[in-house]
Amino acid sequence: MKLLIEAMVEMAEDKVLELTRQYLKEGKDPVEIFRGYQAAMVEIGKRFENNLYFIPELIMAGEMMNAGSELIKPHLSQSETDSEKKKGRFLLATVEGDIHDIGKNIIAMMMDLNGFEVRDLGVDVPGDKIVAKAKEFKADIIGLSGLLTLAFGPMKDVVEKISEAGMRDTVKVIIGGAQLDQQVCEHVGADAWVTDAVKGVSQCEEWMK
Amino acid sequence: MKDGWDQLTIIERQDAFLDQWISAEGIEFASEEKKIAYQERTQIVTDAFRLSTGIKRVPIMPLTTFAPTMMAGKSGYDAMYKPEVAGQAYLDFCNIYEPDTAGAAPMLMYGPALETLKYVLYKWPGHGVAEHLSYQFHEKEYMKADEYDHLISDPTDFWLRSWMPKTHEALAPLATMPPVYGTMELPMAGPWLTALGTPPVQEALKALMDAGKQCFDWINVLGPYLGQIAAAGFPFGAGGATKAPFDVLSDSFRGTTQLMMDLYRRPEKILEAVDRLVKPMIETGVSGAKANGNPIVFIPLHKGADGFMSDEQFKKFYWPTLKAVMYGLAEAGCVPACFVEGGYNQRLEYLAETSDIRSFYLFDRTDMAEAKKVLGGKVSFGGGFPVSLILTGTPEMVKQETKKLIETAAGDGGYILSIGCALDEGKHDTLKAFVDAGKEFGVY
Repeated sequence: MKLLIEAMVEMAEDKVLELTRQYLKEGKDPVEIFRGYQAAMVEIGKRFENNLYFIPELIMAGEMMNAGSELIKPHLSQSETDSEKKKGRFLLATVEGDIHDIGKNIIAMMMDLNGFEVRDLGVDVPGDKIVAKAKEFKADIIGLSGLLTLAFGPMKDVVEKISEAGMRDTVKVIIGGAQLDQQVCEHVGADAWVTDAVKGVSQCEEWMK
Repeated sequence: MKDGWDQLTIIERQDAFLDQWISAEGIEFASEEKKIAYQERTQIVTDAFRLSTGIKRVPIMPLTTFAPTMMAGKSGYDAMYKPEVAGQAYLDFCNIYEPDTAGAAPMLMYGPALETLKYVLYKWPGHGVAEHLSYQFHEKEYMKADEYDHLISDPTDFWLRSWMPKTHEALAPLATMPPVYGTMELPMAGPWLTALGTPPVQEALKALMDAGKQCFDWINVLGPYLGQIAAAGFPFGAGGATKAPFDVLSDSFRGTTQLMMDLYRRPEKILEAVDRLVKPMIETGVSGAKANGNPIVFIPLHKGADGFMSDEQFKKFYWPTLKAVMYGLAEAGCVPACFVEGGYNQRLEYLAETSDIRSFYLFDRTDMAEAKKVLGGKVSFGGGFPVSLILTGTPEMVKQETKKLIETAAGDGGYILSIGCALDEGKHDTLKAFVDAGKEFGVY
């Protein structure tokens, strides 16, 4: 598995898929192969935290993980597919009035890869819908994304609606976007703010400990 | 341009264009007093670009998109559909806040022309976003991976027959035209002209003519307000605009996700493509600056920011062609003004490389103390004021933060006070406090 892990960490996409096919053909345990992917993801995450890897590598990693999963899945039994214990339920949306999704999609991918059950409601999502879906999904954490300053107001509205629904004590709210800071976080009433996905994942993992 | 232009150094050309800007030739001012105010403003901005120790005060240059109209209680829809509303709001904004440069109202664009073209690259008020909001980029993979060679071999042909038909849906039939090159010989000219005559292409050409006429009518309404802004003593903060070649590819063509994967899947194609885009991007910036008699060329920077790529990737894929565009603009006498969105804490050394031309970097979330340390005395830089305080802070907080920022970043003569974000919205009290504090604490 060392070769596969190395290839994935070094972003050698073709090599990763070639090795996966080879291992499956040789009859290696598919769960073992999948763990190789996970081990590579851990190393890639570390490199991101150490400023060695950046968004291109996160996107490539997600892409390799998806392609690898597609190859491995048919070889797994249902119980093996379901067995992974999730760290928590994460509901995500770009708030009403904002249609930007690059940051949101990256955090969705990263949270999924890091063992969270993710529900992504898309962009320009009204506050009432976010709250209703959070209730239905039994979200532990709600992630609100927005690039524009015009997203500050809708973020604040969502937090108020969460309070009105009596869920504020049971759910954490994290906001993410290029123009966020502590000042906006307090204005919105969120529990945390981030401008990059890996910090967001770390914060959520911290909460779920 | 003036006699002996070819013999001038790059900086002499930039200075000649800046002097032309300061001269305010051709502007009819409301009074002699307004003319003096205009020239004082262009002078301090120019002094900042020249890193002049004789500069009197830190110039104040807030960037705005929809803030003037929103603060006047007008919707994003009104801003994009009623040029008289946009023009009046931009004029009032200048008269109320008295910044050293005025925003570019034409950047709001005209909604009806976009409707005619069935434009999909952005969503705008009433078309994909609510009427009270601003326009927003609608990123998609508008160029497929197998189209790199088309772009590289002939950017204009790619633009006209591939990219525009996808992003301007009314122009989709243009994709069926043969290349224009057949016109080189009479016997070969037929196919191209025949294609232009087909009913779908005729419809597309009509849409293009209609959109052009709509924009012409729009600017004829907006133009007099722009004239009043200048007449009232406010120079415009930019004459032209262009983009970094990597951002053209990432924002408008491939989409961020696809391009980030291309960095690994087809790095050579990216390098060829960005190189191919250098001259067109220079030409785009220069043409606007010359048409407006204003040397400042605005370049919003996106995907080269900290976090988007490694230092090695920035050095290889992003910076060389951005730098080439900046030098190309400078050679034509323009002043490249990069709006450095996001953080550039890991890139400051690169920006210092343009110290042999007049250049300006307006920062969003870069550490301004660090920017001063690395760039001070080398290039002009500005910005760094958090938009969050304008929108959610108090006037007193804004005043103190402005004072602190000026103490941190100014001092070399090259600093320009600005908010690290093009304002879609604003608050009167805090914005007023920002400008007033700039004038109070920014005196050298």
